[in-house]
Amino acid sequence: MMAWYQGPQARRFAVALVVVVALLGVLPVIGIDAYIHNQLTLLFITIAGALAWNWMGGFVGQISFGHAAMFGIGAFVSARLMLSLHLPVPLCWLGGAVVAGVFALGAHPLLRLRGPYFSIATIGLGEASRLVFTFWEKFTGGSSGLSLPIDSIMKYQLYWYALILVGLVAITSVAIRKSSLGLKLLAIKADADAAADVGISATFYQDLIFVLSGAVMGLTGGMYASYQSFIEPNDMFGFDRAISFVLIAVIGGVGVSLGPVLGAVVFVLVKIYLLTSHPDLYLGLYGLLLILVVLFEPLGLTGLYRRIARLVGPKRPAVGQAK
Amino acid sequence: MTRLLTRNLTKRFGGLCAVDSVNLTLREGEILGLIGPNGAGKTTLFSMIAGSIQPTAGEILLDGHQVTGLPAHRCVRAGIVRTHQIVRPFGNLTVLENVVVAAIHAHRPGAGHARDRAGEALEMVGLGNKLDHYPSTLTLAGRKRLELARALATGPRVLLLDEVVAGVNPTEAVAFAALIRRIRDERGISVVMTEHVMPAIMSLSDRVFVVDRGKQIAEGTPQEVVANPAVVAAYLGTEAAAEAAS
Amino acid sequence: MARLLDMVVSAVLLAGLYATMAYGLGLIYGVLRVVNLAHGGVIMVGAYLGWCLYVGFGIDPYLSIPLVAVASFAIGVAMYQGLVRRLPRGAAGGPASLLLLFGVWLVLRNIAYLLFKGDDRSIRTEYSSQSLTLLGTHISINRLAVVGIAILIAVGMHLLLKRTQTGRAIRAVAQNADSCTVVGINTNRIYTLTFGIGSALAGVAGVLLATLFSFSPGTTGSPELLKSFVVVVLAGLGSVGGVAVSALIVATVEVFAILVLPSYLTTAVGFVLLMVVLVLRPGGLFGTRVLS
Repeated sequence: MMAWYQGPQARRFAVALVVVVALLGVLPVIGIDAYIHNQLTLLFITIAGALAWNWMGGFVGQISFGHAAMFGIGAFVSARLMLSLHLPVPLCWLGGAVVAGVFALGAHPLLRLRGPYFSIATIGLGEASRLVFTFWEKFTGGSSGLSLPIDSIMKYQLYWYALILVGLVAITSVAIRKSSLGLKLLAIKADADAAADVGISATFYQDLIFVLSGAVMGLTGGMYASYQSFIEPNDMFGFDRAISFVLIAVIGGVGVSLGPVLGAVVFVLVKIYLLTSHPDLYLGLYGLLLILVVLFEPLGLTGLYRRIARLVGPKRPAVGQAK
Repeated sequence: MTRLLTRNLTKRFGGLCAVDSVNLTLREGEILGLIGPNGAGKTTLFSMIAGSIQPTAGEILLDGHQVTGLPAHRCVRAGIVRTHQIVRPFGNLTVLENVVVAAIHAHRPGAGHARDRAGEALEMVGLGNKLDHYPSTLTLAGRKRLELARALATGPRVLLLDEVVAGVNPTEAVAFAALIRRIRDERGISVVMTEHVMPAIMSLSDRVFVVDRGKQIAEGTPQEVVANPAVVAAYLGTEAAAEAAS
Repeated sequence: MARLLDMVVSAVLLAGLYATMAYGLGLIYGVLRVVNLAHGGVIMVGAYLGWCLYVGFGIDPYLSIPLVAVASFAIGVAMYQGLVRRLPRGAAGGPASLLLLFGVWLVLRNIAYLLFKGDDRSIRTEYSSQSLTLLGTHISINRLAVVGIAILIAVGMHLLLKRTQTGRAIRAVAQNADSCTVVGINTNRIYTLTFGIGSALAGVAGVLLATLFSFSPGTTGSPELLKSFVVVVLAGLGSVGGVAVSALIVATVEVFAILVLPSYLTTAVGFVLLMVVLVLRPGGLFGTRVLS
């Protein structure tokens, strides 16, 4: 067994990543529409968040409906750092990430729960956060929210910050998945008790991934806040926000390293389309997509892609089916 | 040399006393058979030693060190590993991956790469040709071997086998018995095994430990234990014991 | 002292609603081991159904309960036969069932949005603002009715599960589904029935909710699901009788929390309670392995 960064697959991924990032990095210099520039920025941020969610939902198998809590915390902490301490913007994002990570650590008791218990507890986490932060007006501005001092240069440069973020998060995703850590996570996902019986502490690794996932979520939240220039607790901690990450990852392919990428692209595209033509259908559409994915293609779009690839390409060496 | 020892090990579930002050001794390099009627508390005893459940009272010592109450994953690091009565392979990993993930946390670091340790363990149990298979494609015997390989890959000093032979056909059972003996001989691992299949456990064990309704009732060589009237009584009732004695 | 009595009475009355909400969730979970994430959605549907029947046909909400129950039952059966049944074996409780039912919830919400927009609504009858004076406190007629109906439901459930053939079959399947097929119980039929009854209970809870509080697609669903879950978890798997007691505990905690917190934070209280219960006693207060 090779280390995650060795082997032909890893090389292919590295090449692809470099090419894609380079292309995307150069795009604005060549000249693109301001609207597309902004939408791409948003897309990068969304992908990063979805990838981070997938570490918990896909790799460990614990579906969290409450990641918006960390997203929101990252956003508001970074906004406060900007407004009250006037720190440089990237530092504010990191501050948001750190606090979100600590919050995730504090949610440790939740991690002792399994399956549906965990998921429902995270719904509670999200809702409670929303209520508490809306109530905490001094910090979040209550329903009036906070406005951030982001000038247009910063907003323009956000594109590259977000691109770097998503690149790093993508590498981290693959690194986790293909390394021994990923193997341990899969074992925990399959059977946490049996994993303990071979020496793997489910609590420790779940804590680790939850904190990592939470911190990155906080970072995404901070960047998103800068992107929007205005944030408000009901939106940031809201139910819709929380489920968007779930939807993206599931539709793109839960558990697969780059499934969320596909999902995010589709999600943002569909959202743009729906917002213009049928704005009141998007909840139902996503619900329908969830149902379809669960019943027919558990690996979402990635699964579809693989099926097509299998029909077209060479056979895979593994025998039997992974459960 | 005593490898593993329990002192007054007790487990109470509410009003029920599943294990009552058991003093079990496992010597270095021996195969200890743990027998008793259904519900005697064998699996509970295993679970306590392996860390899956917490004892209510008593101590467990490994090579003289306290391991009482350590959670399962810490017990494995210390060198105690168990297999399960109903096998629990990781269905989403291949056979090789199942064992590698166990080898990563091996008790003896530096004794070779995890993959090599996993390969060795799988060769030993006879699954060397199925590395890329998924557990669902294996027979029950195959999955039991996988469970065994996974346990071996953790580099244990003490191996607890929970009804490893149950449910496989007689030919397989003989092969398993030979395997267990090899494990003890070649790797110096001390084994505690529980079984309902009497011939297997009697021929394999150096010593036998008998429990009934949570209490230990006999200890000794297989021959000694079989002749012990208390043991006969536990399994067959007091009348049968009286008959055997007369 | 009068204040205390007020609060105790409030708690009891609220508990009636919570118990009714929780029964549906608990039954489905006890028998199918599936956590019905669409539960809040069905409650919402029940609320709207009751509202429609009242506004459209002038049917008193409490009288419309049988109708709503039947409609919700049908929805539950459809959900099971059309969707839940198609889940792969052994997926009960796993992420697949969670996501599937979550998707259903989203669809239900959207339908509600489309039909009724996002406005707050509630069922206000001529007697809604009236109250009786009992034991020195004022009790609104609505709350009294809710408690009365909750008691009827509790008794009905008990009779169903303990005294009927079907009820015994349901309990048997809850204990060990595989053995049941061996003795000739049609587990598919039992599952369908359970899902239907569970949904019917949720729908009825929705009507009751609508007579007490305002509801809308945006706000209704999550808090109800959470509270139902807290009650079910606190009661423990398999205990239908325990649901009444734990509903009382949850309601009491909430009512007394209002002394210290603004009212809209009470959902947060529910969440904290849930956390505490899950960490300290995941088996619940009355947990048994058998549905009793």
